[in-house]
Amino acid sequence: MYLYFEATAALYTLTVITAVFLVAGVLCSVILWKKGKAKSLHHKPNISAIIKAFILEVVLQVQILKISFVRWLMHFCIFIGFMGLLAQTTVMAMMSHFLPQDSVVAQTFFQGAGSRVLDVWGDLFGVMLLFGLTIAIVRRYIVRVEQLETILKDSLSLIFLTLITVTGFLSEAFRLMDPQYASVAWYSFAGYPLTQLLQAIGFGAMNYKVWVWIHTIISMFFLGFIPFSKAWHVFVSPIEIVLDASERA
Amino acid sequence: MAIKETLQTTQTTQAGESAETSSAAAPEAAEITAGDNDTAQKINIEKFSPRQLMELDACTRCGECSNWCPAYDQDKREPLTPRGRAARFKDLVTRQHGVFNADSLLGRLLGKKPVSAQEMQDFAKDLYACSTCMQCHFVCPVLIDTVELWERIRECIVDGGYGPLETQKDLVLKTKNYDNPWGQPRSSRARWGKMAKKKKRIKEVPKDISKQKAEVLYYVGCTASYDNNVEEVGINTTNILDHAGIDFGILGNKEKCCGSVLLRMGDRASFERICSENIEQFNALGIKTLVTSCAGCLKTIREDYAKVGELRFDVKHTLEYIVDLIKEGKLKLINNVNLKVTYHDPCHLGRHAGCFDAPRELLSLIPGVEFIEMERNRENSRCCGAGGGLKSGYPDMQNQISQRRVADALATGATELVSACPFCYQGLQVGIQAMNAPIKMRDITELVCMALGDAPTTEEDLKE
Ligand code: SF4
Ligand code: SF4
Repeated sequence: MYLYFEATAALYTLTVITAVFLVAGVLCSVILWKKGKAKSLHHKPNISAIIKAFILEVVLQVQILKISFVRWLMHFCIFIGFMGLLAQTTVMAMMSHFLPQDSVVAQTFFQGAGSRVLDVWGDLFGVMLLFGLTIAIVRRYIVRVEQLETILKDSLSLIFLTLITVTGFLSEAFRLMDPQYASVAWYSFAGYPLTQLLQAIGFGAMNYKVWVWIHTIISMFFLGFIPFSKAWHVFVSPIEIVLDASERA
Repeated sequence: MAIKETLQTTQTTQAGESAETSSAAAPEAAEITAGDNDTAQKINIEKFSPRQLMELDACTRCGECSNWCPAYDQDKREPLTPRGRAARFKDLVTRQHGVFNADSLLGRLLGKKPVSAQEMQDFAKDLYACSTCMQCHFVCPVLIDTVELWERIRECIVDGGYGPLETQKDLVLKTKNYDNPWGQPRSSRARWGKMAKKKKRIKEVPKDISKQKAEVLYYVGCTASYDNNVEEVGINTTNILDHAGIDFGILGNKEKCCGSVLLRMGDRASFERICSENIEQFNALGIKTLVTSCAGCLKTIREDYAKVGELRFDVKHTLEYIVDLIKEGKLKLINNVNLKVTYHDPCHLGRHAGCFDAPRELLSLIPGVEFIEMERNRENSRCCGAGGGLKSGYPDMQNQISQRRVADALATGATELVSACPFCYQGLQVGIQAMNAPIKMRDITELVCMALGDAPTTEEDLKE
């Protein structure tokens, strides 16, 4: 059972290739880190400091908020948006593979009210991500904020994330042209207006799965590329933030 | 005193001369004499902690650090930013030690080039253009422990023979050979006390704690011991402790440098030797508290020593100790000190050791003092540029950085620039003199002495 997009052999192959790159990339980093033999921590881990730092600095990113609201908004939207979409995709993939088709959960999420939750979830985090990316692009390439030094690494991550978000919305918009979704289309509160816009400027219904494939290929490529890219900090920085908090507690 | 690189002056020099002498050592002199081979020596990656190597991946490249770094403020080159430094070192380390390093087949296929000696030398030059002020840590959204990382990298650079810079090597050598970075004889370390007694600036030379036990060790430090320009620090501290009736002593000629200069320059092996010797000596004294007037010594002894061995005593900066004495009623500040002052947070006392409140509390306890904060204060206090070897490696840059800080002070309208570190005192004097600024540099102990009823060091004494 699947939601909007069936798992084919091609998808499995792509997933495996992505996983191989992802694991290899993570291993490359971890192997290098482990070559360091000095003590990482000089004090016992302070759990309350770690939890506090995780909430305030990793999730809410208070340190950035103290510096600039715009930067906080940008970073918060990109971080939470990206994580939300990653979680949505992971949940959907897990459910398609591991849940018995006739289970209540599977029925609810793939055919019932649960699928609406996933629609809202995807749009909410997608909009956040797109909003954050827009600020990032404006700051880096239009306003050209002085403190930002742009190298290929910065641009690549932004290009990938933007392509992922845009193709994600386009797949949804084209899917919603199918009359079978008419009654529930507004749950996709960002995708459906895009559907209407596309129809207004003359786009007719087309096989949305083409767009889903484009979206999937780009997303998978990006996922596999994460440990080699700037986006790697999304996973590494939180570790440093909580370790620093624990050490200074 | 912690980072006391540039005192190439003699006992008789004045602060201004000291500044000029150090400024004359241009950065061009910062030549490195590493091996001539094309391929660089391998960085000893084992010296890093896994966390430090991870930190190289944690940088978000947000550039916030570049907005605040005092070195980058003077020389707008990306390699001087913490972001640039981390990225550059990551590149070097990956090419030498990464899974796809330049020696591996895959690395070669991916076009990885071996690290050349020239690259390492260039990196070292930029690495030492840093005052280890820790500002970058405080503004970094990831809170990367930058200074620990820079110091560890310096250690590897020293091991490889690429650092420190020529102008800094002298300090390291002198510290190792004379137990002070200025190459002054050990036998004249306690001379300040004898001279002060002779000039009737103090009642008695503090007792030799190695001969007569005392609860408190006043660790004078190299700058206050040897530099005439900041001898007031030792004199004032002695008078304050005497006034409070504290049972204290000094080590006199047996006192050694705390080793900060070695650690900041990257000579960790020598630092650990001097540190272990000092810990053994301090512990053997059976003291309860070690008091020091120097921010660098405080940071080194309280934070860095504690990572090497056990300290069986408290370590306090003089001003923290004075605040305690006032609270205990042992010191009463009664004279009005009608001065308009601003306070400079020494990096090693503030950002490094977390002491921000005590100096402000102390200033508020001195009658008559009108205290005005500089716009950049506490965690964001602008560095004077003297630390981390910057003053000896890049004296012109230090001069400019110092002038920026003096301009901050002038903007407050204060007539006195107060700090709590002999090395900042020297560092800021450089800026004051270069600008001919109408502001007087003072150590905080000087104001305390003015406020004490019967202290021999009053403003009148100082004028004499
Ligand atoms: S420690 Fe200070 S001088 Fe060094 S890189 Fe950080 S901000 Fe710049
Ligand atoms: S502030 Fe921190 S995360 Fe941002 S560029 Fe500097 S070192 Fe990297």
